[in-house]
Amino acid sequence: MNNKCRLPLLIALTFALAACDDTKNPNYGSMGGDSSGLPGDQVNANGDNSSIPLASRGGVNPNDADYSVLAADTVYFDFDKSTISASERGKLTAVSEWIKANPGRSLFLAGHADKRGTPEYNRALGERRALAVREYLVGLGLPAASLYTNSYGADRPAVDGDTEEAFAKNRRVEIGVITPKQ
Amino acid sequence: MAVHLIFPSLLNLPANVKYLSIWLPLILLAGLLTTQLHGQGVTVEVSTLPRVGVSISGSLGGGATEIVSNDLKRTGMISPVGSGSGDYLASGEATESGVSGRLVNKKTGADVFSQTFTGKGRLAAHQFSDAITQAVTGLPGFASSKLGFVAGSVRVQEFYLADMDGFNTREVTHDGTISASPSLSRDGSKLAYTSYKSGYADVYVIDLASGARNRVAFFPGINSGPSFSPDGSLIALTLSKDGNPEIYTMSTDGGSLNRITRTRGSETSPSWSPTGDRLVYSSDDRGSPQLFISSASGVSDMDHLVTGNSYCTKPDWSPDGKWIAFTTRLGGQFQIGVYDVAKRTAQLITTAGGQDPAWTRDSRHLVYANNGRLHLLDTVSHQSLPIEMSVSGCGEPTVSR
Repeated sequence: MNNKCRLPLLIALTFALAACDDTKNPNYGSMGGDSSGLPGDQVNANGDNSSIPLASRGGVNPNDADYSVLAADTVYFDFDKSTISASERGKLTAVSEWIKANPGRSLFLAGHADKRGTPEYNRALGERRALAVREYLVGLGLPAASLYTNSYGADRPAVDGDTEEAFAKNRRVEIGVITPKQ
Repeated sequence: MAVHLIFPSLLNLPANVKYLSIWLPLILLAGLLTTQLHGQGVTVEVSTLPRVGVSISGSLGGGATEIVSNDLKRTGMISPVGSGSGDYLASGEATESGVSGRLVNKKTGADVFSQTFTGKGRLAAHQFSDAITQAVTGLPGFASSKLGFVAGSVRVQEFYLADMDGFNTREVTHDGTISASPSLSRDGSKLAYTSYKSGYADVYVIDLASGARNRVAFFPGINSGPSFSPDGSLIALTLSKDGNPEIYTMSTDGGSLNRITRTRGSETSPSWSPTGDRLVYSSDDRGSPQLFISSASGVSDMDHLVTGNSYCTKPDWSPDGKWIAFTTRLGGQFQIGVYDVAKRTAQLITTAGGQDPAWTRDSRHLVYANNGRLHLLDTVSHQSLPIEMSVSGCGEPTVSR
């Protein structure tokens, strides 16, 4: 095949891949069965919201995520904050390096909060932290469709107790690895 | 202080005038100080409450008399007394088939009402209590409402129902996972809540009579904090599926999704106005979580409620529309605040801690949680009573209307 044919083929392939984007599937919210979850609207094109719509859950079960592989890269956060501090960014660079070396894996980003907020606030805070990690990893080149988020609020502390040390250990996003089933 | 100001000029006055001039200002000052200490709370002397004598006969009469007496006392607005005395007499018969109840005004001798209450078990007695409360105080009683809450420990929480007096507790979910953010529909027939049964945070609706359960929101990300609209046809909730936790409404079967907020911050805990046209929720778009009101029909302006507190979450709109209760955090401790919708001001109602308020139907009392226990709070007197439960680790109360 000469160069003249390759470019149109590449363009066609790009369009084909875009059509496979799960978020444009009208039923991406549902897993079938007991309900009729509807798709949501897209992010505001005016850009006043930089969030990236989440990928379909597909067949991924959070309980299948292996958190031991990347345990050293658990990202920690300041109190009531979901911003990734400079000292934590190196961990995410390490995560992106690992994904490049281990292609085909998806990541499950599990967000947590310390118990000093009310339950719903903590659940959303944990999710915001997971989304912040996701956004950062997308910025490092990982495909958004391979990054799943969940939040456990303050329900699953890493360390029990009421000390500042315990609280600091609980404000985290743990990075779980999903290996595709053969 | 007053004495020092007055004393020098009193040296030459007759003894009785001197006496009055010292003590009267002191008494007035003490009265002023007492009012300051209670703030907006009103101290109600027990002796000024209307007294209702309670005497119910029949095979279940003893139990019914005790239930009704305790219900009336718990309102903080009635003093239950023995059948011999009182301004009113509540009498009747309690059997397996229900309670027949009568209220007589002893001063006038007139029958206030005579009625049969057919609720099952203790409910009939609670219904009698509520009819007495309504007749004597003008406010609806809340004894017959359903109280829902989650209970358990870290990692496992289930949803429970109980009577408002803490009796008749029954476990509704048995999933061995986290159940959270429960919301009873106004009529008490349905429950919406968040469960991690699937591994994800999903919203389910349970029909409490049949036990049938449907998963209604299971979008990518979190689905949580559901709240039934006043007419029970819609649920407002938080979804993060578009990349950020925002407020949406949906019909109770999961369809007709409608987005309400669009910010860079995260929005949680929506609560409906009594007419169903607006939602109050918590958003941290400005930094710390604050309360906002928006239209319930779509993305629109956010009206910031200035409470004077830097952390405001979990708002709950009272049935009469006049108040929004919320949780604030001061010095590391949660407290309950109440926002006056008309005056656009807020005040704190608790000092010993409290979170996650849920109004009862009289728009005066609410239920809140503190350190794993539920409490009933009178927002007028600021008096708080524990609701003794047979389970521990209780939180996130919800009350049917």
